[in-house]
This record gives sequence, C-alpha cells and structure tokens, in this order.
Amino acid sequence: MPAGRPGPAAQSARRPPPPLPLLLLCVLGAPRAGSGADTAVISPQDPTLLIGSSLQATCSVHGDTPGATAEGLYWTLNGRRLPPELSRMLNASTMALALANLNGSRQQSGDNLVCHARDGSILAGSCLYVGLPPEKPFNISCWSRNMKDLTCRWTPGAHGETFLHTNYSLKYKLRWYGQDNTCEEYHTVGPHSCHIPKDLALFTPYEIWVEATNRLGSARSDVLTLDILDVVTTDPPPDVHVSRVGGLEDQLSVRWVSPPALKDFLFQAKYQIRYRVEDSVDWKVVDDVSNQTSCRLAGLKPGTVYFVQVRCNPFGIYGSKKAGIWSEWSHPTAASTPRSERPGPGGGACEPRGGEPSSGPVRRELKQFLGWLKKHAYCSNLSFRLYDQWRAWMQKSHKTRNQHRTRGSCPRADGARREVLPDKL
Amino acid sequence: MSRREGSLEDPQADSSASPLPHLEAKIQQTHSLARLLTKYAEQLLQEYVQHQGDPFGLPGFSPPRLPVADLSDPAPGHAGLPVPERLRLDAAALAALPPLLDVVRRLQGELNPRALRLLRRLEDAARQVRALGAAVEAVLAALGAESRGPRPEPAAAAVAASTASAGVFPAKVLGFRVCGLYLEWVSRTEADLGQLAPGGQA
Repeated sequence: MPAGRPGPAAQSARRPPPPLPLLLLCVLGAPRAGSGADTAVISPQDPTLLIGSSLQATCSVHGDTPGATAEGLYWTLNGRRLPPELSRMLNASTMALALANLNGSRQQSGDNLVCHARDGSILAGSCLYVGLPPEKPFNISCWSRNMKDLTCRWTPGAHGETFLHTNYSLKYKLRWYGQDNTCEEYHTVGPHSCHIPKDLALFTPYEIWVEATNRLGSARSDVLTLDILDVVTTDPPPDVHVSRVGGLEDQLSVRWVSPPALKDFLFQAKYQIRYRVEDSVDWKVVDDVSNQTSCRLAGLKPGTVYFVQVRCNPFGIYGSKKAGIWSEWSHPTAASTPRSERPGPGGGACEPRGGEPSSGPVRRELKQFLGWLKKHAYCSNLSFRLYDQWRAWMQKSHKTRNQHRTRGSCPRADGARREVLPDKL
Repeated sequence: MSRREGSLEDPQADSSASPLPHLEAKIQQTHSLARLLTKYAEQLLQEYVQHQGDPFGLPGFSPPRLPVADLSDPAPGHAGLPVPERLRLDAAALAALPPLLDVVRRLQGELNPRALRLLRRLEDAARQVRALGAAVEAVLAALGAESRGPRPEPAAAAVAASTASAGVFPAKVLGFRVCGLYLEWVSRTEADLGQLAPGGQA
C-alpha cells in the first residue's frame, strides 16, 4: 500500500503519533452500517513530513460494506477540495492521492486530510504533520533574584517557526558534580523562559542548556556556565520619595531606600535615576548615582510635573567581579517644581547633597553667589544651605524687590543691614 | 402532557409545610444554571473547532455521528415526554458527560498542548455539568420523581483491551461530538426546566 515519502531526515527522525488512550475506540462505540463511520481507512495515518516533501496516500473503502466502491470518492485538505487530477483509482475500492511540495501545517494539531464519498459524507480522515526539525536554541540569559532562584530566557532557533509543536526543556547541573536537572516552571517571563525556584548553590558554577524537540527531531543549545552570584538582581528600591527643594523652581530632591532583601550585602550597589516630564515619553537618565540613597535633580523646568524612577544594581555582591544586573525600575513617583515667571534653565543633572557643585549653569550661579558674599558678608562657613537660601532670595527678589528680613549669622563688614535669606520659603 | 405533571402542585404535599416556594426557587436556580452552561457550551464548541482546523469550523461540517458510549442525542420524541421523564433523561445524560469531557481534555492535552484556554474550558465544563446534573437530580427528588435504578459504570472510565490505532482525526471527531452533545443536552435541560419554572408553559 503506497505510503507517504517524507525526506530522509523525517524518515530517520519520525516519531510515532502521540499515544491516544485505548479508551478512544471504546468511547466511540461500534460503527453502524450505512452511517459512513469507519467504512474506509486512509493510509498513512497521521504521518510526519518535512516541508517541501511529497505524500502518497490512499483511501480504501471497506469491502464488506454494501455498495462500497472507490468510484466518486474525493479528497479535501483542511476543508478545501483537492483537484481531481491529484487523485486516481488504484482499484475498485481504493483511491490514491499524490501531493507534492507540502507547506507547513496550518495548525499544530495537524492538517486534516479527509476522504469523502460521492455525496460529500466523510468516510475517513488522517492528520498530516508537516514542518521542520527544531534548530539550536541560543542566546540563553539567566538572572537570580536576591540569590534565591534562577530565571532563564532563550531564543528558539529559526525564530521558533517549525510549524509543529516543539517542546523546549531547560536543563541544568552543577559543573563539577551532580546529575542533570530539568526546570519545571515554564513561560514565567515570556514563551521561552523557565524559573528554578529553589535549591541552588552559590560559589559554584552551573551548566545550563536548552533542548528543543518535535516530531522531526531535536536540537540542543550551547552550554552556558555561570555562578549564581554573578547574575544577581534585586527588587526595585522601595519608598522612592520626590519632593521640592524649598522654593527652588528647577530642582527636586529624590530619596529612596536600599532594597531590603539585599540591604546587608549592598556595599557597592549602584543606582540609576530616570525622570521625564509628565507629558513626554523621553526619559533622562542619571547614571552612576553610586552607593547613595538620595539625589537632587537640577536644571529642571519650573512649574512642571516630573515622573521619577530609581533602579538598583547589586554588583560586587559577595565579591563577584561581574557587572551585575539592574533591577526593574521602581514605580513612578511624581512631583512638581514650583512655578516661576522666569524661564527655567534647560538640561538636567543630579547634584549630590553636600558635595561639589556640578558644572554648567549651577557653577555660574555659584560664582555669582560667592561674588555676592564677598561683597556683602565676611562668611567663612559657606555651605549649600546658604546657597539655596540665596537662590530662593534671588527668585523672590524678582517678584518683590523690597522684601527683606533680618536673620542669619553672617555679619557685614560695614555694619549695614544684613540682607539674609529666609530659611523657609 | 397533563397540566398536573407540568405544574408545581403536589397533591401529596402537606400544605402547612410550604415546600413549594423552596422548590420554585430551586427550579429557578437550576434553570438559570442551565442557561449559563448553554452559553458556555456554545463558547466551548467554538473554541474547540478553531483549534482542530478546517473543516471542523466550516458551516455544514458533518462528520459521521458515531455513537458515543453511554450517551446519545436527545431522541426526536423527547419534547413530547412528561417533564419529569424528560428531566430523568437529562440527568442521565448530564451524568454521562463529565468522564467524556475528561477524555476529550486529555486528548486535546496531547494534540493542542498550548491551547490553554480550550483545556481550561474542557476542565470547567466537566465540573459545571456535574453541578448541573446534581441540581437536576435534586429537583427530581423534590418532585418525587427520582431516577429509577442505579446507573451503569461509565464506559469511558474503563480501559479497553483494544488497539490504540484510532488516529488523530477520530480523536478530533470525538471531541467535536462530545462538545456537540454537551451543548445539546444542557440546552435541552434548560428548555425542560423552563417548563417547570414559574411562567413556563405547562
């Protein structure tokens, strides 16, 4: 009896159809004569074929059925009638079909090849599985959240399109000893991912790989070797607060807390801040905030709502030399800069509290401030607090020139009335 | 059908115990459940045919209506039977459906392992039809018209010593058949209960 002619790879790698329960026949019950049920059989049943290959199939009508003949039989594939020139009668009870250059299966449950009687009733069916063997998965990347688990992601070979159900299995083992283990929690962060929740060792390398299997064969990725400590990430910093810096219209203060799960280990943690104007999609990133839990954004637009996020990189944990993996960004926190009639400066930067002034507009203003101090006071204890107070004063003085208040500890050499800045604006 | 069989009056009931409001509520509740499951059964069948591919979803698709063990279509004369008898047949069919739905779920787990929503719907259907069957039995008991005699063990639960070469296409057809029977019997149950519910035809 003619059978399908799959390509050489398919012949050697063809797998039997999935084992359907024995109860299937019992559930179906005995066929009734004349109903068209089980009055014919298609061969081959459920073949697996490579894309581009050919298939020779037959539909044989049961000889014991009254009037059973192959005369008038026709074929459909996925509901579409096949041209009659593809069929021919082999004998009185058998109709043959020749298909060439098969396309990939339309659905993963198989293409439906059906043999019909002259009146259109269905006599028998067979499901074709046409596709490609899997290609080698690649680009495996893994990360551990707080050293407690491991999640890995990979890219399927050939972008995953095999037209057949392809099973991916993530395997791992300790490099120097131990047996192969199989990850069990799939699709945790996308279709090609797996999560290992527990029982992971530190300070010793793991070997990790992915095996892809379908009806036409299997493929294995390259092995990735890693130590859990080299791929640690953590939770976003909690409790991010953004507030105004007094009346300073171009600055906001950002404070956060070190991620609690690793706070005892984050000796070298790095942080990053990003912020954007409320109605913009463009984030500005402040890099290398270093191991601090506060920062001041400067050079902002006055009277503007900003969204701010912070993330953490726990690099160097337990002495790891690797770059570390950034956490997710914290939930956005919003705050607005005070309004001003004066156009605000452009650009942005993060000013560390109590540190050296940053470059650009801030430096220019500071020079002006120091110049003003030399003229009006003999203060040796200069601080940014005074600087902030001066800035606020500068802004207010644009609105109400004659607003003065006497306060502070910086004397004037000439004994003239001190023009000091209110410390609360 | 006599008016009496279609009505809620039970001449043997003690009128002072007033079981009728409770029974009416139970019938109403079961009727609502049957209506809901009819809608779910339609959705299940739609989802099912999508995953099997054409011709399963095409209008006019009519595979051989093979007999399914323990379950057949409602008989043509079903609507002409007395309501309690109809409900007995409904209850018997509803009791036969869960193991068949379980079989279909297992088959689809192999044929369409990524069709998570379909698999979930099949699992839910088995559970829901069990609940509906139990509710119909309760109504029958309240009417004094319980099913007669023990039900046979479902054949779907037995392992047959037969070859397993039925094939993928017959497995798809079986699932189509079972989903179709599920829809037919829950909608049949809805209609039969509707005749008992207040406002239903006698």
